[in-house]
Amino acid sequence: MTDALLIAQSAMVIGGIGLLVGIVLIWASIKFAVETNPLVEEVIEVLPGANCGACGYAGCADFAEKVVEETAPIDGCPVGGFDVVKEIGGKLGQEVKEAESIYPFVRCNGGVHCTDKIDYVGIEDCRAVMMISDGEKGCSYGCVGRGTCVRACPFGAITIGDDRLPHINKNMCKSCAICVDECPNDILVMASDAEKVHVLCRSNDKGKLVKSVCEFGCIGCRICAKNCPEDAITVTGFLAEIDQEKCTNCGLCVENCPQKTIEMISPSVEATA
Amino acid sequence: MEDVSLFAIAINGIFVKNFLLVQFLGLCSFLGVSKETKSAAGMSAAVMFVMIMASIAAFLIYTFLLKPFGLTFLTTISFIIIIASLVQLVEFIIRKFSPPLYRSLGIFLPLITTNCAILGVVILNVRLEYGFIESVFYGFTAGVGYTMVMLIMSSIREKCSVLRIPEAVQGIPHAFFITTLLSMAFVNFFGVIPT
Amino acid sequence: MAEKTILGEYLRGIVKDNPVLALVLGLCPALAVTTSVENAIGMSGAALFVLLGSNIMVSALRKQIPPIIRIPMFIIIICTFVTIIDMVMEAYTPPLYKALGIFIPLIVVNCIIIGRAEAYAIKNNVKYSIVDAFGIGTGFLVVLVAIGAIRELLGTGAIVLFGFKLISIPIYSDTPATFMILPAGAFMTIGVLMALVNYNRIRKLKKGA
Repeated sequence: MTDALLIAQSAMVIGGIGLLVGIVLIWASIKFAVETNPLVEEVIEVLPGANCGACGYAGCADFAEKVVEETAPIDGCPVGGFDVVKEIGGKLGQEVKEAESIYPFVRCNGGVHCTDKIDYVGIEDCRAVMMISDGEKGCSYGCVGRGTCVRACPFGAITIGDDRLPHINKNMCKSCAICVDECPNDILVMASDAEKVHVLCRSNDKGKLVKSVCEFGCIGCRICAKNCPEDAITVTGFLAEIDQEKCTNCGLCVENCPQKTIEMISPSVEATA
Repeated sequence: MEDVSLFAIAINGIFVKNFLLVQFLGLCSFLGVSKETKSAAGMSAAVMFVMIMASIAAFLIYTFLLKPFGLTFLTTISFIIIIASLVQLVEFIIRKFSPPLYRSLGIFLPLITTNCAILGVVILNVRLEYGFIESVFYGFTAGVGYTMVMLIMSSIREKCSVLRIPEAVQGIPHAFFITTLLSMAFVNFFGVIPT
Repeated sequence: MAEKTILGEYLRGIVKDNPVLALVLGLCPALAVTTSVENAIGMSGAALFVLLGSNIMVSALRKQIPPIIRIPMFIIIICTFVTIIDMVMEAYTPPLYKALGIFIPLIVVNCIIIGRAEAYAIKNNVKYSIVDAFGIGTGFLVVLVAIGAIRELLGTGAIVLFGFKLISIPIYSDTPATFMILPAGAFMTIGVLMALVNYNRIRKLKKGA
């Protein structure tokens, strides 16, 4: 066929395909249009956008939708802190009150103070270590120190220190509590700055065994419970636990503990011993 | 073209001529998305869907528009226009019916347009002179092969996140070494379907 | 912004912005066609042609292209050049055309070319866009030839270029490791190359710090 006809036909075919495609897409953009509530977009803007799931919903956008629908509490996002709660409250025209900020607390003082039972070489994950003969340390309840919490933290707020224990940077911590869920030995717990006295041990091993492997482990001697004026301490088995609701931070247990397991933490210090 | 059985097409598409491990098509998206199983699954589903729809549309355009008028040199450009619009259409549909999936796929959705696997399928359909059913089926089985390798890869990479790897090897080189092993396994399928 | 020199922009495409090893783009052809050095050179040549054409045209039209439809425009421009080189290769270099197979039309979705149009040609004048195209093209050539040479030499025991046997390993070429010609060999080769590039980069970072 002639060149001119070829050029004309090519132009028509490509033009035709383009036109058809254009029409289909315009139809689709109308038919599948998504109605977005502009208020939801505003709330999304205000949220931190980490999509960490601490609120319990599938990401920040989902939480924003549920908050506008009023099926989620306004203060459901711990990561944003009170500033974000205030802003959301402002947008929805609702009153908000400030809650105490909480941070993870390391309930173990083992680390380098606790002897190793085996020489572990393998996957650098606390969960993996705990699957092998109940951990690598003499105390099977203690902190493994291989960094599962470090990796779990979406904000990079945790580091493993030279003492082989996690250290939480309160400035970077957004209280999402994902690290608490990930720790295989339940070492981390969320605590507010008002709760100053803590038992830095989770071991329920007999006192003699604990003393042989760990410098600071709880031996279940009950001295703290006997001395507590508020009856806030209970010793189950060989482990002492403080009921923070009853505790008045008087510090008597701290003075009397023979193992120095209980410590008084001042708020300015990082959330570990 | 001689009759090609659907079974032969399936075995070819999924195993013998696997798009990722044997034909080297779709590698950029493969490396980028295969870190997490969640995004790998979402991406594979979108790719498979676009492959099937593109095979249908491309076949129709080629058979009824390009070939009769002797305009087969317009194949590449028409196919890419179709693929780009299909991807846009899929984006509209996903955004309407599954906003969480839409948000998790994020940038990967528009990237399917430049995924050589999709354009590869439709061009292969033309070059192998497949009929309508064979073309669509080839699109489907290519998608299945892609999905299979993506899911295997993402499962492996997720587990590997806790390994001690030398810094220079971390990331993409490590992914390539895993792919080497997977590809070696697929070499066993060569010759199963005689070419 | 630093002074742009022609040599500087050219070298940047080879080392700092090397398409395959630094930008990690264009992996599909880099692995698929590098079964021999000859194919590698052929592929780089075709890619360079398309890259040149698209960079020049996009750069020349950069003030006229409305931003919202720039990606479809890039694709159409690139498609034109790909179709041209496809037909030219089919006519003038049939064995190379057959060896490269579907990867010639697939140049249109090669992220390198769209990437350069988006990142460079739309913002710079024609002169520098040409230099950039040559730089990136050369970078692509270097990597492809490297991979092709390794695969061909270790996979067949010799490198044959346009009919001339360039190198041949004496005893090894009787039973070469055909593994290298297979897809698995390609993945391993590029894995090792990238690891070396990473190692070099980390070493430089540590020295600089």
